[in-house]
Amino acid sequence: MSASAYSTRRFSFSAAHRYWVEAWSAAENERVFGRLTAPHGHNYTLDVTIRGPIDAQTGMVIDLGELKRIVGETVVDRFDHADLAVDTLFRGKVATTENIALAVWDLLAPKLGTDRLWQVRVWEDPTLYVDVRGEAPSGEPSSSRGVDVRGEAPSGEPSSSRGRE
Amino acid sequence: MNVEVTRVYHFSAAHRLENEALSGDANAALYGVCHRPHGHNYYLEVTVAGRPDPVTGMAVDLGRLDETVGRAVLDRVDHHTLEGVDALRGVITTGEGLARAFWRILQPEVGAATLRRVTVVETAKNRFDYRGGA
Repeated sequence: MSASAYSTRRFSFSAAHRYWVEAWSAAENERVFGRLTAPHGHNYTLDVTIRGPIDAQTGMVIDLGELKRIVGETVVDRFDHADLAVDTLFRGKVATTENIALAVWDLLAPKLGTDRLWQVRVWEDPTLYVDVRGEAPSGEPSSSRGVDVRGEAPSGEPSSSRGRE
Repeated sequence: MNVEVTRVYHFSAAHRLENEALSGDANAALYGVCHRPHGHNYYLEVTVAGRPDPVTGMAVDLGRLDETVGRAVLDRVDHHTLEGVDALRGVITTGEGLARAFWRILQPEVGAATLRRVTVVETAKNRFDYRGGA
């Protein structure tokens, strides 16, 4: 078995969202989500990690140009300067960072293959990020696979999004 | 499908590395400049695992996590000397020692099944992860 390496490329998109459950009354939304019910936006950062053997010919895990093209066409073109609340991916769902990360995973997995796509990390701001990794074959939760992909936090002013106000 | 949610917190504190069982000379030899009282702008990352609620889309109540970490950790250490913090009594305040100590403080509050990782970032060059276990 050859050893794997992990290659991560960073992307960014700026998008609007709001916390709003259609099935609830305005008062209930306000009670649960507070000021997050107002449409607002973030500069999101997306780290996509590919796992694989280092190709003997090219010395690469993946051609980063290919990765940039796929993520660009599949995710960035769709989400950048867009209102996530009206994207069909979030119909009936709240575009939380958790759901955005899951949506990015679902968009990229068929294009890159779950044998290569290792992790999707979505930063809402420098104080909050969500990781999604593929389900382990045994059915155990993916998050028990202890691989940690490091990255510098995106620069910029932290904003307390869902935190203490 | 499970996700892992990581929240990044910040505190500033003074500390020094010292093993009370050793002499002053031995501590100075062991820890070098770190034996002198000094301080850091720390970052504390807390990672929790969960499944997003189908209605709210949230895997974790971040307001509650913030309250817990704030009360149990940040309020105790921010702008304090770590060696004087009751909750850290007996801890050699290395990054790894702090990560383990914060894990032990947070695990009963956050839940053993939920807490996945505690990371202490001491400087831009040093970060320490603790995931529990032996």
